[in-house]
Amino acid sequence: MTQVPEGPAESRLEQISRILIDDSSRVPVLIWFTSSVVWLLLGSLAAMISSLKLHNPDFLGGIEWLTFGRIRPVHLDIVFFGWSSMAAVGALLWLQARLCHVRLPWPLLLSGLAIVWNVGVVVGSVAVLAGHGSSIEYLEFPAYCAPFFAVPALGVLAANIKMYLTKNSEHTYVSQWYLLAATVWLPVLYVTAMLCTYFGLVQGVSQAITNWWFGHNALGLWVTPIAVATAYYLIPKVTGRPVHSYHLSLLGFWTLAIFYNWAGTHHLTGGPLPAWTITVGVVGSMMMFIPVITVAINHHMTMRGVFHMLKTSPTLRFTVFGSVMYTVASFQGSLEALRSHQEITHFTQYTIGHAHLGLYGFFSMIMFGAMYYIFPRVTNNEWSSARLIKVHFWGSAIGVLSYGIGLCWAGWWQGVMMNDPSIPFLQTVEYVKPYLILRSVSGMGMTIAHIAFAISVWRILSRHHFVMSGPTLFTTQRPAWKEFVNEQNEREEMAQ
Amino acid sequence: MFLISMIIWATALLAAVMTVWALTWAIKRGEFRNLRKGAASIFDAGEPIGRQTDYFPSARKGSR
Repeated sequence: MTQVPEGPAESRLEQISRILIDDSSRVPVLIWFTSSVVWLLLGSLAAMISSLKLHNPDFLGGIEWLTFGRIRPVHLDIVFFGWSSMAAVGALLWLQARLCHVRLPWPLLLSGLAIVWNVGVVVGSVAVLAGHGSSIEYLEFPAYCAPFFAVPALGVLAANIKMYLTKNSEHTYVSQWYLLAATVWLPVLYVTAMLCTYFGLVQGVSQAITNWWFGHNALGLWVTPIAVATAYYLIPKVTGRPVHSYHLSLLGFWTLAIFYNWAGTHHLTGGPLPAWTITVGVVGSMMMFIPVITVAINHHMTMRGVFHMLKTSPTLRFTVFGSVMYTVASFQGSLEALRSHQEITHFTQYTIGHAHLGLYGFFSMIMFGAMYYIFPRVTNNEWSSARLIKVHFWGSAIGVLSYGIGLCWAGWWQGVMMNDPSIPFLQTVEYVKPYLILRSVSGMGMTIAHIAFAISVWRILSRHHFVMSGPTLFTTQRPAWKEFVNEQNEREEMAQ
Repeated sequence: MFLISMIIWATALLAAVMTVWALTWAIKRGEFRNLRKGAASIFDAGEPIGRQTDYFPSARKGSR
């Protein structure tokens, strides 16, 4: 049985406005989110096959489309285009509608664009498995896949701008800066990189620079801003405490916008590039300490005194974990850009460990947190099981920490050994092998976590354990609200 | 080839100009004034400062 929310009329009207906005985003957000969860499972499968092959090379060795050179890029691209980007768009659409206080425009179009994006990931993945992929990291999908991503990216940009131009809120909240910028940056990055790479505009060393300009910025100027924007909304919103320092939050955004774009060439340290291009990348990476420190101070200080809420809120648990990992992975990444550091860690497992601390520990955990907040509000249903959520959290958290710490440790000593000419190369391979097994075990933990999450998502979508007034929905009882809206409209009409 | 090259340079220039314009516009519009109010803009009477808005399914009465 539902009830009209208690409180003064102003409070109730604001709550009704919020639920109508959430309602408007339901179909597109659910399509983007649900697709991302399916890709998360498929990405995990590709990851497990790739990982097992590293310490057991004969595993599925007779199947050419599952060779390491194909299944590993498929894992990367499914995780980037399928899981990360689709989850990011879902969160972006819901957040921007809420922050602008407007209903989501063009829900049918945005739903259609999600389907187009899905087709792109399917076509690209099949092409790579069939041996038609390129060797350019993050751009392995063939050129004919580009429209499947470029067109939806432009559509999302248009919707984002429309919401902002028609907003009913006075202030531009810090998250909105990040969201607007991310949707502008993605099409520019992707279209430029594809044109340069596939139309022969740049070749050789220049192509490698373009590759890492895109690869690094796809993470830093597309998924990172959306995750930071989400954390800047969810941590204050769930705890009921405003951001500790709003000054710092704005400084963080503008310094990220200025510095991140320059950092990509640090991936090519030691390569045959002009020295100054590497130096630009190193300097850009060092300057990233500024935005990262602002976010670290803000998120930590906003949580100060309310860390006990981590016990009671799934959203907060995932989001704060992701936020801490943003600080860790970003500090590590900036130091990793230094030439002295690269002398040891380049071409080792250290880089893979770092990448997972970033894209999984930081980004994915914040997206999980966002989904735990958004799904109940757009489905008007409650999560079915706290136990499944806890399995998800601990599987993901322990999995990514053991994965990241294990590979970074192994990679560091692997690099030290590789730099010592008296140590045979095979000895470095033998040294790393136990850590590769640890990698597979950690990956298994994360995969189990993803399965638990997928079950929760399936249950909330299929209305298994249908609960309309559960813990996250205590302000969103829809049918009674609609009656309340009708009453208000009638009163206004009578008053006129 | 020349056309693609020009499109890319024009896009890069446009992006840079848009960034400067956005920053100038935001300053003129007063987006960086009264930041305390800005930080509180995500709260309202329905979800006020001080209220936790997310719980585990079993954390509150009446839920499973």
